[in-house]
Amino acid sequence: MVQSVEPEARRWLVTGRVQGVGFRPFVFRLAQRFGLPGRVQNLAGQVLIEAEGETSVLDAFGAALLSDAPPLAQPEMIRAEKIAYRRLHHFEIMPSATATAQIHMPPDYFMCDDCGREMQAAHDRRYRYPFINCTQCGPRYTLITQLPYDRANTTMAGFALCPACRSEYENPLDRRFHAEPVACPACGPQLCFVAPGDRVIGAAALDACIAALHYGEIVAVKGVGGYHLLCDAGNAAAIAQLRANKQRPHKPLAVMFPWCGTDGLERVQQELETDATTHALLCDPARPIVLLRRRSDSTLPESIAPGLDEIGAMLPYSPLHHLLLDGLARPVVATSGNVSGEPVLTENSEAEQRLGNVTQIFLQHNRPIARPADDSVMRIVSGKPRLLRAGRGIAPIELDVPSGFTQPLLAVGGHMKNTIALGWGQRAVLAPHIGDLDAPRSLAVFEQVIADLQRLYRVEAQAIVCDAHTGYASSRWAARQGLPLIRVWHHHAHASAVALEHCPQKTWLMFTWDGVGLGEDGTLWGGEALHGRPGAWQRVARMRPFRLPGGERAGREPWRSGMALCWESGLDNRPSATDATLLKKAWQQGLNSPVTTAVGRLFDGAASLLGLIDKASYEGQAGMYLESAAAGEAEAVDLPLDQDASGLFTADWRPLVPALLRADVPVAQRAMQFHLSLAHSIVAQARRMQALTPFDLVGLTGGVFQNRLLAELTVAQLATAGFTAHLPQRVPCNDGGIALGQLVEAGFAHG
Amino acid sequence: MTAASRSGSLLRQGLPMDDTHIRLAHGNGGSYMRELIETLFARHLANPLLDVQTDAAALPALEGVVMITTDGFTVQPLEFPGGTIGSLAVHGTVNDLAVSGAVPHYLTLNAFIEEGFEIAKLERIVISLAAAAREAKVVVVAGDTKVVPRGEGGGLYLAATGVGTRPRHLQLGMDRVQSGDAILVSGPVGDHGIAVMLAREQFGLRGDLLSDAASVLPLTQALTALAGLHFMRDPTRGGLATVMHEICRATGLEVRLKQAAIPVREQVAAVCEMLGYDPLFLACEGRVVAVVEAAQAAEALMRLQALPQGREAAIIGSVHAGRAHAVLQTELGGERILEELEDDPLPRIC
Repeated sequence: MVQSVEPEARRWLVTGRVQGVGFRPFVFRLAQRFGLPGRVQNLAGQVLIEAEGETSVLDAFGAALLSDAPPLAQPEMIRAEKIAYRRLHHFEIMPSATATAQIHMPPDYFMCDDCGREMQAAHDRRYRYPFINCTQCGPRYTLITQLPYDRANTTMAGFALCPACRSEYENPLDRRFHAEPVACPACGPQLCFVAPGDRVIGAAALDACIAALHYGEIVAVKGVGGYHLLCDAGNAAAIAQLRANKQRPHKPLAVMFPWCGTDGLERVQQELETDATTHALLCDPARPIVLLRRRSDSTLPESIAPGLDEIGAMLPYSPLHHLLLDGLARPVVATSGNVSGEPVLTENSEAEQRLGNVTQIFLQHNRPIARPADDSVMRIVSGKPRLLRAGRGIAPIELDVPSGFTQPLLAVGGHMKNTIALGWGQRAVLAPHIGDLDAPRSLAVFEQVIADLQRLYRVEAQAIVCDAHTGYASSRWAARQGLPLIRVWHHHAHASAVALEHCPQKTWLMFTWDGVGLGEDGTLWGGEALHGRPGAWQRVARMRPFRLPGGERAGREPWRSGMALCWESGLDNRPSATDATLLKKAWQQGLNSPVTTAVGRLFDGAASLLGLIDKASYEGQAGMYLESAAAGEAEAVDLPLDQDASGLFTADWRPLVPALLRADVPVAQRAMQFHLSLAHSIVAQARRMQALTPFDLVGLTGGVFQNRLLAELTVAQLATAGFTAHLPQRVPCNDGGIALGQLVEAGFAHG
Repeated sequence: MTAASRSGSLLRQGLPMDDTHIRLAHGNGGSYMRELIETLFARHLANPLLDVQTDAAALPALEGVVMITTDGFTVQPLEFPGGTIGSLAVHGTVNDLAVSGAVPHYLTLNAFIEEGFEIAKLERIVISLAAAAREAKVVVVAGDTKVVPRGEGGGLYLAATGVGTRPRHLQLGMDRVQSGDAILVSGPVGDHGIAVMLAREQFGLRGDLLSDAASVLPLTQALTALAGLHFMRDPTRGGLATVMHEICRATGLEVRLKQAAIPVREQVAAVCEMLGYDPLFLACEGRVVAVVEAAQAAEALMRLQALPQGREAAIIGSVHAGRAHAVLQTELGGERILEELEDDPLPRIC
């Protein structure tokens, strides 16, 4: 047998994350390395590669396409096939084809090590240039205006390349070959420092900003996806000023730490506890905010996260932030530059106007931001990173939906923590966090993202999915669009989002515990167990319903839930600073006192009864205080579980009330007991249900399960009882995941 | 205990119906009805044009554009701090004419009385109606009375029609509202809503809070002389916020309100705070919202503030080109879209 040495021609079709991540230049360099002629072409989402050579070399080349891909790329092979041999001579990068195919929209990335080294090399032409980037790093989602991802289709279109940058951009062997946002001090964006009576352009702007932060000033800094408000994290007076000006008395502030030491984490570790998982998460190209426990010897002021034992930490994610933090050599508070609940501000003059109450000092730049992306927030729960907010670096989140959609769907999400999702074919895309839809700016960004995502992914929604609550701004918007409307129950959406992530075909017992969402019986759910699968959920258990005095206001004032728990239990002697006589009458007469089963409100009530909080200044504050306060050993209180004639189980929380009011037991222990009792109740419900209507898996979702203590106690107790429990991982368990769940639910229920 | 249920208990005890309560016979066209009309309605509402013997009233010729409006009144309780359903019927009808730029002249009145209604209470209501009419300088020129069987009415419903005249040159309407216009309100909002709610739910609050129910004619007449006056409305059901929505919807313009500028009585704010209500959505029955050209806003404010009813008037916002929604600018620099009122608003957040 003679081995054939005849050259052959082969074609590969690759999909996955291959746009905006330097994949084509990588293929080019790889072909050079293997000495193969051929070509590579971007097909608006997929990449087509052809090469000619010996079989064994082509085999190796094909394998290396996946194994040697650049760190940001996540290529997936669709097929490899033999094609006609054409005797090509060299390897070419062909212009992008705009045919519709699998389009991917990359998120914004950190600054890579190579760029970091150049930025610090005094001889480099990009020495200390805050907009340095390459094919392996830098902004994407926030500057793309059109796909395919080419410079002309980004907000860099207005910056003409200088000869030096152009030669890099056009050289297939350069690591900036087709790095679309490539720039240098000669041709790229510039910083501008603006303060009353002062305006500094260029490199000096950075120094002016560092000096201002040094002196304890608050500076609004324009980053990748929008503005941050920065101040010295060690300066309690500056933090107090920031809190007063931003009218944000308690909500925890994120802290950005300078990159120190060989692994970058040295400074973080002086203040906060890290481990291998959080270490990797902090350094991830997405550079999320990670919630970390404060060290007992931390020097950071308590006012960064009052009442909490964790601080949200992040490392610098852009060259600008590296330079700032290096110059300052200390951690800074880095909180979203917005008006509370709104999307981060992106436009210079609008930021000056809307943030004028907070600061008069701005570090701006002239690279436009196409759409906002707030920082992502993550927390380790049950050993895995969980998203609390999907933003910069992580979203848009692209997911496979094997069951597919018969028509393109747009899901508009909830009212708070809103974001939207698109579903078509066998794909779903969840957009980054937008905000609470009360404000005009939120609604404007909401509409822009809906329009942009459909345009960029070349999908036109044929129907809209919204929450069943007609009062949500998203539902109102959906109803005005003149497209078929699919209304999905809030907790069905929560349940379907988790099911999709893990196994939508199996039968689930899904605990959907959150603040409030409209339920099928017209009451406000939030303490339900649903049985079934996407498209077929059935409520099988709930918390005992109670009435919320003052309606929506109860969500901001935990004392109201505290009162309701007492009144509902027949206790009236709770001492209160507020004269609640009028409220109690209204509550008795059912006036503005809607019925709810929400565990989020039980947390509010418990935190209030423990004296931890009466009025909240941010969403979830009471639950966070209660979690933070819990410590030590405690005995679970048994919550009786009764079945009514319709088969519905009700867990009665009332035995918790006297336990919460026991002044002889330390607060920490009572808080722990509350958590344990709820975990215990979940296990009890799962056991009862398993005997009646079997299920394969247990799911835990809804904003309540952002609570790590509750989630971990529950998962552990369920495991002991022989149940496998899943929490959402790739999407937030809070209302930030609702849009995806709406898509999945509508897809299964309506095809 | 309402009058209706009190007489109900009398009946159950088998006692004969006395002359102190309305019977079905009071509506049958016979002597009881005549007596009721003559001794109660006609006596208190007497005026030269009201002739209970005729089927229709003859009105003198009117100058200007003749305007007509009609309204029904079902408020509970029928008597509340600051008014009754009777005075409310006059004020409600008169105010619809007044905010249209008209001077009201005549009213017609329909009373739907539930069997068993206490006659003394009916008389109190008619007296308060007559007083309101005198004060607003309108006369009741025609009327009708029906008695509905027990349990089929809330004690008393009234329906009124008002006729007035507007000068021919005066042009007011949503179509005149322009970007840049200022929005004024003549006084604190929500008094009526809270006063009535507290009385209805029998909360036993001993406050001095009265309904704002009153004729707004002096206020509207003070403004109609201004060439820059574009539009007026009285914020009744749905309150100030609903008027703003009506403006947005009709004009396609954006309305921006400054929360800090909107007058709300401390007591109203306190009750709203406690019960979780938004005063901007509560009914007023004696306030005017005026949309005025920016250049004349200060003059309009002065004119309103010169009147006893308008002392607390304020410029509360402005009209802008933009999206057709109403935005509340909070004291903290935030912006909140004022959503349209739903039947039964359920909490969206928590």
